[in-house]
Amino acid sequence: MPEEMKHGMACAEFDALLSDALDGGGLSSDRQEKFEAHRRVCTVCGPMFAEAQAGQQFLQTLEEVEPPAYLVHNILAATSGVESRRTVSADGRTAPLVERAREWWDSFFSPVTSFVRQPRFVMSFGMIFFSFSLALSIAGVKPADVAKVDLRPAALRHAYNDAQIKVVKFYDNIRFVYEIESKVRELKRANAPAETAPAYQQDVPKERKNNNDTSGQPDQRQDRNYSQEYNQPMLAALNGPPAVTRTTNRRLI
Amino acid sequence: MDDAQVVGLLVRRCISGDAAAWEEIVQRYHRRIYNVCYRFAGDAENAQDLTQEVFIKMYRTLNTYDSGKGAFMTWVTTITRNLLVDHFRKTKSDRVTDSLDSIPSEHEDAQPLSERIADRAPPPDASVQSRETREMVHLALQKLSPELREAVILRDLQDMDYREIATALRVPEGTVKSRINRGRAELARLLQRTYRQVI
Ligand SMILES: [Zn+2]
Repeated sequence: MPEEMKHGMACAEFDALLSDALDGGGLSSDRQEKFEAHRRVCTVCGPMFAEAQAGQQFLQTLEEVEPPAYLVHNILAATSGVESRRTVSADGRTAPLVERAREWWDSFFSPVTSFVRQPRFVMSFGMIFFSFSLALSIAGVKPADVAKVDLRPAALRHAYNDAQIKVVKFYDNIRFVYEIESKVRELKRANAPAETAPAYQQDVPKERKNNNDTSGQPDQRQDRNYSQEYNQPMLAALNGPPAVTRTTNRRLI
Repeated sequence: MDDAQVVGLLVRRCISGDAAAWEEIVQRYHRRIYNVCYRFAGDAENAQDLTQEVFIKMYRTLNTYDSGKGAFMTWVTTITRNLLVDHFRKTKSDRVTDSLDSIPSEHEDAQPLSERIADRAPPPDASVQSRETREMVHLALQKLSPELREAVILRDLQDMDYREIATALRVPEGTVKSRINRGRAELARLLQRTYRQVI
């Protein structure tokens, strides 16, 4: 069928001209005639034309959406770190008071709060607190014991040394666990697609000088496509936590 | 000065550390990038995160932009597109489970071609200009394969020409045209099926 000519035009040629015909690029009158004739008689290309045309018209109903007013602020905070000098948004409207108040609030606290509010850091702080209390209880410190503490210097020194040994042992164990964890993470990272992890986790500003990509292209990978994942279904799951940029705290507000 | 010269100057000022120039670039392009991300990813939250990532990437690689090799917008679109690919791969596992959406995916398609032709999509005239239609079109767009989706977004929503799209996607122009055709047609088919369920 592909080679079949209908009114002087093969289906492949019709297909190649279809987008030009719909986009108003204009076909030469001779071609236009053959194109129309082929469209009328071909049972494949005719419906294809109608569907493509309908799809194009559907797409044209979609209007431009308005980005949130704080987006520019967030972008600047995540890149140059320089506050926007404009209080009026691009289309001339001033940002709503609530939004401006939130921006002001964010600008005060975002370096700290957005960091603390990220789930994995909340977990880390929890872990630090937990391991401290654990260390203290291993070291034998209990609130009830405080009253009974022997305050003679020799006894103190003895208790201190004793506690220190326990704490050091405990932290050696913890360190061992962390070392294993980080090795596992390294292995995962080595297996995961190379580009994902470092691109998001580095601190962004002031890194321009380190970039030695001078090709004028934003990315060197020529073969970036959506279907690559089908070859590596397992690795996709090993990409680590989803990228959380610094100003995504609005999710938690 | 034409637009390309203005942008070229902004980029140079920005590389030399001019924060105001960077803000100007952000002001100029954020709306466009946000719209591409919104139509591709489907929701405002992902669109915001992705737009932000695009600018972070731009900020870090601005010194690699070579105005001799193409328009700034094409360069920006390439960055956006690469991040959309990453986003798509990353969220793939989440999407496998959400098969309860209103619009059936193309894989459930068991309808013969003859039947599809028989009841063509309702004509997109004044009656379909409603908000509901736009929402359905937006939802249907999410059901397209990412290759077809990005092609129709860049062509029909961003009004880029074939050559610019081919450069941004790094595929031949013929491939771009074919994807635009298939993307539009597939979208119409998805919507016509949805309309049939609704009516
Ligand atoms: Zn044909």
